[in-house]
Amino acid sequence: MKKQVLAAAFLLSAVTTFGAGYQLNLQGIRQLAMGGTGVAWPWDASTIFYNPGGLGRMKTIQIYASGLTISPTTAFGNTLANSSAVTQRQTFAPFNFYIGGPIQQDSKFALGLGIYTVAGIGLKWDDQWIGRYIIQSINLNAVCFQPTVAYRVSELISVGAGFVYATGSMDIRQALPVHGQYGPGGSTDDDGTLHLHGSASGLGFNAGVQLKPSDNLQFGFTYRSQINMGVSNGSATFVVPQSLATSFPNTNFDTQLPLPQVATAGVAYRTMEDRLTLQFDLNYTGWNSYDSLRINFSQHTSSLQDMHAPRHYRNTLTPRAGANYKLGKVVSLMAGAAYEPTPVPNGFVSPDLPDADRLVGSVGVSIKPFPRFTILTACEGITTVTRNASYDFGGFSGTYKTEAITLGLGLYYNF
Amino acid sequence: MKKIFIVGAVAMVFTACRPSIHVNQNPSAGLADFSNYLAIGNSLTAGYTDGSLTVSGQLHSYPAMLFGQFAVIPAPKGAVGPFIQPLVSGDWGYPGPKYILGMTYNPCIPSDSSLAPIVNTGTSDSINGDYLYASGINNNQINNVGVPGIRAVDYKVAGYAIFAKLNKAPYAFRFYNNVNGSPNDELVHVVGNLHPTFFTMWLGANDVLGYALAGGQGNGNGTATPIVPPYLYNGSDISPLIAFDSCYDLALNTAISTGASGALINIPDITSIPFFTTVPAKGLTLSRQGQADTLNAIYAGYGYKGINFTVGANYFIIQDNAGNTRQAVPGELILMTVPDTSITCHGWGSANAAGVPTPIPNTYVLTTDEIQYIKTATTNFNAFIQYEANIHHLAYVDMNSYFKTLASGITFDGINYSPAFVTGGAFSLDGIHPTQRGYALIANQIISTINAFYKSNVPSIDVNQYKGVVFP
Repeated sequence: MKKQVLAAAFLLSAVTTFGAGYQLNLQGIRQLAMGGTGVAWPWDASTIFYNPGGLGRMKTIQIYASGLTISPTTAFGNTLANSSAVTQRQTFAPFNFYIGGPIQQDSKFALGLGIYTVAGIGLKWDDQWIGRYIIQSINLNAVCFQPTVAYRVSELISVGAGFVYATGSMDIRQALPVHGQYGPGGSTDDDGTLHLHGSASGLGFNAGVQLKPSDNLQFGFTYRSQINMGVSNGSATFVVPQSLATSFPNTNFDTQLPLPQVATAGVAYRTMEDRLTLQFDLNYTGWNSYDSLRINFSQHTSSLQDMHAPRHYRNTLTPRAGANYKLGKVVSLMAGAAYEPTPVPNGFVSPDLPDADRLVGSVGVSIKPFPRFTILTACEGITTVTRNASYDFGGFSGTYKTEAITLGLGLYYNF
Repeated sequence: MKKIFIVGAVAMVFTACRPSIHVNQNPSAGLADFSNYLAIGNSLTAGYTDGSLTVSGQLHSYPAMLFGQFAVIPAPKGAVGPFIQPLVSGDWGYPGPKYILGMTYNPCIPSDSSLAPIVNTGTSDSINGDYLYASGINNNQINNVGVPGIRAVDYKVAGYAIFAKLNKAPYAFRFYNNVNGSPNDELVHVVGNLHPTFFTMWLGANDVLGYALAGGQGNGNGTATPIVPPYLYNGSDISPLIAFDSCYDLALNTAISTGASGALINIPDITSIPFFTTVPAKGLTLSRQGQADTLNAIYAGYGYKGINFTVGANYFIIQDNAGNTRQAVPGELILMTVPDTSITCHGWGSANAAGVPTPIPNTYVLTTDEIQYIKTATTNFNAFIQYEANIHHLAYVDMNSYFKTLASGITFDGINYSPAFVTGGAFSLDGIHPTQRGYALIANQIISTINAFYKSNVPSIDVNQYKGVVFP
């Protein structure tokens, strides 16, 4: 029998992005309750995220904090094979903190700092599910630090910009199609596994213009740059049968996880004796800047080569609408909706990111028990359309549906 | 109180938020009746893998997989169990032990060790006596008449079981109630007693494979004569087309004699499987000009013309059936059974340490002519199988095309499959028979053809629930 240099080729396809499924639009509780709108109207210090230009409108220094829980679940079905799967329930807890305001009473200059979560969820499939060679679990998170400066040019125009430092981590597990005779875990039923873990960081900026033609009609325009979250010296840990240990050495890897650039335009209009504020935002998200993704290992063998997965994403245009209704001096009610089209075309829908067009509905209440203090709550429901799609790179197809519930609580205090 | 209510409401919201995908597609038999399924075929149908027959291989044979999917369909047209296969006693292998992967050491270069298929030393499995496992039980029901080694022409050989046992393929015995009581029985009579409502028939690969495994030593041009007339041919011959056609036709007519519908599976191009593609014909690598000069001088000294070695990859020197020693040409194939140490230690394909030309013997080589015989016979056999499918209104599974697709590499449910030996995932350690996952891919092809032809809705198979190659 001819001897072989055995190179158990495998597919490292969980090369991922902070795609639409991982992007959170949860940086402000009132804005969350209003369908994610908030670029035109500087409601509170979270305008540091929504429109840095709005910071120039703040009358006093404000401190703002919020915490949220989000529980996404994705269901998968393959009608051809009569099989289905659901991700395990997991709850994630993004948070936001802002402080900012004019540098002194009535100053045209304002300073602020925002610390906010832009990505912070994951999916966990059953270890033995049909797509395990593509993904078993994935967890991505990213928190941004954004020092911001704003200048109120005139009553009409206020501009602002912030430098963004993003830091986060990625954690991906997938099975490898190499069974052990004695089993990595002592059982012949075990697959090999690969665990990728690394810290990521990147730089960008966030700039905006806020226009106030009148007290009741305001506009906002912002641009958030792309942030390339670079992972260097992440750890790649293989569990494989003993005879393949030299083919799959534990090693380090580098990769890039880009956060896309977003341009937003919005309008806010207040009416009904200042009780009702309506907002409408339009996000243009530049997904197509990453057509493909790579994972580069620092050590290579005939079995272990750098991985490359194509991702032909489309740019998207997301409309959002929201309303805020003042019941009285103390209580306001919010509601909103959004339609988020998926950037992922058919043929590229991977179970590590089973993205689909999303419908978003949200409600919230704000209570102002004391003049300087406000409590905000919000609840958002997201559902994707049921999408039948394939991931051609991994030879994998099926039907997906994702649902998520977000609950948020926020507080702010004006000094 | 209010707090509790809020917590309760939140819990309800969370519970409601649990998406699911309905996959119940109402499996149905369409125009077929799967209630009594019979698989007819050779080692591929028996579940042979890693060079032997084991109980795991049998339990994961493609007929067992198909039965599992047919059984999802409700009565009366769905398959009803049990699915009876003549199981051997264990996982060592019957009659000889199977291959496993193990470390092997090159005797010439002791530091050169690698993983390779080795015969699993230990014991072998047995069957319950020499006779039918199912004999006398289950009312002699048998659902898988996959006989490793059988050719289509063997179906009309009286006493085939005895002949095969003498040739170390003692598999057919198991299908007779009492082989000694009817020593001249033909296997076709066994099939005739089973009365399936649905059958699959995958016969014919061995009608060309025996010739190929023997390095094209037998008769390949279709003019072979039987060693025992009318239909017992030498194992290294390609079956003549007329014999193939009449025996295939007879086996098929027996299967459908009680009104069964079914699927006929054609013969893959065996020259694309790892057994023939793993050892490259252009596998002699010379790193220095001095090596090339030495070899050229040796061959010139022995008077061979037209042989020229250069630095880099060279075609091995082979011996063809006409007795010529020559360099292999593009497209020619070296069999996987060529001893590795013969090439690395004894200079097969170039020259040995004593400076004597040592061509690879013709028993390990398929030359261009021999490959053409195999392809021509395969094409002719498949044309007949398709003709039979058409006239009897049976589904025709073009496995030949599917193997071509596989040969160029496919990705399915996150795994890359190719015909590469061991690493390709689809073929087992014998280089001929599929792994469990390879059999599952094959079963899915059969299912999709059946669904299209019989307007049935048989669910396809989760290939990933089965195993590929197992590593130590």
